[in-house]
Amino acid sequence: MDIFPALATVIVNPTMLGAIILAAVVGMIVGATPGLTAAAAIAMLLPITYFMDPLFALAFLYVIGKSGRYGGSIAAILFNTPGTAASAATQLDGFPLAKQGKAGKAMKVATISSVIGDFMGDAILIFCVGWIAIVAVKLGPPETFAIYFAAFVVIGSVIGKSILKGLASAFFGVLIAMVGLDPISGVERYTFGNFDLSNGVGLVPLMIGVFVLGEVLMQLEQKATALERVEQSQEKEANSLTWKEYRPCLPHVFRGGFIGACIGSLPGLGSAIAAFISYGEGKRRAKNSEQWGKGALEGLAAPESANNAVSGPSMAPLLILGIPGSTIGAILLGVFLIHGIQIGPTLFMTSKELVYQLFACGLLGIVAYGVIGYFGASQVARLIMHIPTKVLYPTIFITAFVAAYSAKGSMFDVLVMIFAGVLGYLMRKFDFNTAAFIIAFVLARGAEEAFRQSLLMSKSGLMIFAQRPVAAAFLLIGFGAMIFRVRSIMKERSVAARQ
Amino acid sequence: MSSTGEGVVTLIIGAAAILGASLVPPPPEGETWAGVLPMGAAICLTLTGALITWSSFRSRMVETGSSSITFMPDKSFPKILMLVILAVLYHQSVLRFGYELPTAITAPVVLWLFGVRNKFGLALSAILYPLIFHILFFKLLGVFPPFGTVFDLIDFLRG
Repeated sequence: MDIFPALATVIVNPTMLGAIILAAVVGMIVGATPGLTAAAAIAMLLPITYFMDPLFALAFLYVIGKSGRYGGSIAAILFNTPGTAASAATQLDGFPLAKQGKAGKAMKVATISSVIGDFMGDAILIFCVGWIAIVAVKLGPPETFAIYFAAFVVIGSVIGKSILKGLASAFFGVLIAMVGLDPISGVERYTFGNFDLSNGVGLVPLMIGVFVLGEVLMQLEQKATALERVEQSQEKEANSLTWKEYRPCLPHVFRGGFIGACIGSLPGLGSAIAAFISYGEGKRRAKNSEQWGKGALEGLAAPESANNAVSGPSMAPLLILGIPGSTIGAILLGVFLIHGIQIGPTLFMTSKELVYQLFACGLLGIVAYGVIGYFGASQVARLIMHIPTKVLYPTIFITAFVAAYSAKGSMFDVLVMIFAGVLGYLMRKFDFNTAAFIIAFVLARGAEEAFRQSLLMSKSGLMIFAQRPVAAAFLLIGFGAMIFRVRSIMKERSVAARQ
Repeated sequence: MSSTGEGVVTLIIGAAAILGASLVPPPPEGETWAGVLPMGAAICLTLTGALITWSSFRSRMVETGSSSITFMPDKSFPKILMLVILAVLYHQSVLRFGYELPTAITAPVVLWLFGVRNKFGLALSAILYPLIFHILFFKLLGVFPPFGTVFDLIDFLRG
């Protein structure tokens, strides 16, 4: 019950409450703006948090991530353009509802479902994370490496359209992480005699390059199209939501929340998968399945709940094992490292108060975006329509430079950011996976350490991974996930060929 | 670029990484080799590249009976290239002339690339961008500004 004192500490701090509200608004705007992602915003704001208190920095960015997930639904419902990948499932019923003049009602359903889903996810995180950490403390280097390996394979093969390109992205991320001095022997790797490279490639400039500059280059390529907003009906009934209307949504919301929480706890799967699984499962069980896709409130509630329920549990592998479940998790890992906080099972012994205060900020963030979204989603949409993209992306371009420089006051980091930007653009253009690339980059050093420690411990070389049951189980999970994905793709192809 | 091309590029990067990993010196007695993970990742990347090439080549042969590799740059390619070159030039000029002067020149050029044609707006951006970013990052956040080795505007203004 460590969460209650943490909540009390945060609630009495007006500066923290102000930051949470600001983060909720920023996240909502970023999530609702097509082309901008919460990950890009967090990467850009990361250097600013160097100068903040660790809890303040983490809470600010964590709430932006949460609110950004919800913000995607605003664009999906009102502009027929999903602000995030996950909100594409929301669009299926959200936009038809808006076309029927029920945009206000749709936004209210999306907001309530998001809030319930997010609360469910956070509750599971808060009550389970401490127990998992107790188990995780007992894991040795072979088990840790096997978990890293499973995460690599799942992240590489499950995210994105192509397994091979996903895996290639993950391997490339590992190689980039290997640049610099070997932390154990001090031997140079891939430095080409360059002194700056001997310190390795920084996480912050790499992320700013891939997510921010890469996106700016993509936006330059895509012809800017003006957003068209569906006009909201002035009738009170069309925009208000009654208990009678929302009650049938509740089973879908709770099921979606559970699906989202389960998927969120697995590294790499993310909210888009959770939203679509929840939508599919909801439609299969719905009494009015023929209405789904034409403007069913239940069809809107199911994916929204799952999408947001991912947020909390995705923090569990990050905090306990240092394995980020998403790109936002990878960036938050950077914030922990910047502030000298060692992530892992011992985090709950060394910084327990900070962790629970962060969870408390997350809960208050949900309340903040819930209230703002319920009463002000329409105003947020109006604001986004007035943001000129011709000015927005050049501003982001200039900000990316100064943000990359600010991280360490190094112009070499700016150069890394430019290269990463070009790489990020090319990866997006040719359907490689930027999320797998970044997450693999973050995981690689920890995986290497665990792997080499395992070999030093072992008397039978690589067989140590087969001799330890937990390690062997995780290795099998990794291979199993890949085989399952290959089989499902082959099945989809054969069905498509038959049709 | 076709999938075959993407596979070939991945394969070449993987092969270069294998070469790089093989240059890592062998470990002293009783220690693990520092090149073990780079070599493992490089081999996996090469194999993945080979598989991408092979699967794309095979599907191309099945679909068209031809195996030619094509590269078709987009219409927006010159603009993208210009922005990348501008980014490199901006970086180099900040090294030589500090932050403010290069930003004053770069900001209107980027705005123009994104389609802003209002002359007053472009002129205003040359003043506002360096000013706002200077105040925000170098004054309020206390980041130490990059110093120009040839000429630095702030240094000059301070006399």
